[in-house]
Amino acid sequence: MAKSETELKVLMLSGLGGDSDSYRRLLEALGGFLRAMFRRRLSQNDGEVEDLVQETLLAIHVKRGTYDPALPFTPWAYGIARYKLLDHFRRRGVRRMVPIEDASELTAGENPEEGAVRHDITALLARLPARDQRLVRDLKLTGFSIEEAAARAGMSAGAAKVAVHRAMKRLEKEVRHEDL
Amino acid sequence: MKTSELIDALAGNAIAQRRAPIAPPMIVAMLVGVGVSVTLLLAWLGVRDLNTATATSAFWMKSLYTGSLAIIGFMLVRRLARPGGSAGPLPFFGFAVLGIMAILAVFELARTPTDGIAKLLVGHTLKMCSIRIIALAVPTYAAVILVLRRMAPTRLGLCGAAAGMLAGGAGATIYGLYCDETAATFVTAWYTLGIAVCAALGAWGGRYLLRW
Repeated sequence: MAKSETELKVLMLSGLGGDSDSYRRLLEALGGFLRAMFRRRLSQNDGEVEDLVQETLLAIHVKRGTYDPALPFTPWAYGIARYKLLDHFRRRGVRRMVPIEDASELTAGENPEEGAVRHDITALLARLPARDQRLVRDLKLTGFSIEEAAARAGMSAGAAKVAVHRAMKRLEKEVRHEDL
Repeated sequence: MKTSELIDALAGNAIAQRRAPIAPPMIVAMLVGVGVSVTLLLAWLGVRDLNTATATSAFWMKSLYTGSLAIIGFMLVRRLARPGGSAGPLPFFGFAVLGIMAILAVFELARTPTDGIAKLLVGHTLKMCSIRIIALAVPTYAAVILVLRRMAPTRLGLCGAAAGMLAGGAGATIYGLYCDETAATFVTAWYTLGIAVCAALGAWGGRYLLRW
């Protein structure tokens, strides 16, 4: 399901060339992205979301000639999705902001598994004391160096190393315990 | 209708699609708009003696200033006509052109005795200048909007402003064929005002005219 810019662009280009199979796969992938994006933006009204997904797919189809192959595909598709979403708000008489530059939002919902994993890690981390939670998060998830993570926690690098080591041991034990 | 049915229908309709080009129809629209505006100018105000005018640097300074703004407007419209298009660095160039014009005006003011400054700013056509520029911009704006309606701009206000700037720059350049004001101060103030109002009106109009 996870589709990258490159894959989407390849599908779009063969679709523009008249390959209906690629074009179908492109529309299906986009449909999934749009559904996720609009769900995040609209209240839990699935009918409304689905109408907007269809309207946007239709707009993408009708305006596909305005895609310039020299440019990346995702910002183009996101531009249409954002426009249709704002148009939807305007017709309902609501004023909302939707960021202009953040084309990655379109493909943000691409991998539901990743979201599930993150959720599990958060739940697991919550069992640690606050200081250790932050250390592990900084070091293992955010990607700080041990010195940086230690400085953020206000402790020496050596002490941080020991604390992280103990925290990881404890997490391992918790996970193993759950598996049994 | 279910989304999967819609996708079936659209995919079944996937005949090879040609790119919708933007520059050629835009250039045609600009030529038509400029042609109408020149005709309007001839019927309305006439042109000044162009042999004399083209021998002065003031004429070329004005044309270069307003022409540059029109070209930057054109480049902006080209980018903003497509979904996801952004203004990029172009507004910076627009302000740079304005800045150069303003510097010329400052030098002009600096070498003018105090009692001459008012004359530089007011000229002898102050009341009409900006309004005439706006009037001469209308045909180009209309033509460009017609082309844009076939494209897919997603930032309507910004795209409309760019179309207004393009039309205002073109209108001001055409007005320069009539207007015999020569002061850089006058041009910086009133030509700029005319073009800026065109951009503002263009932004307002774009929000309605460019919907799709």
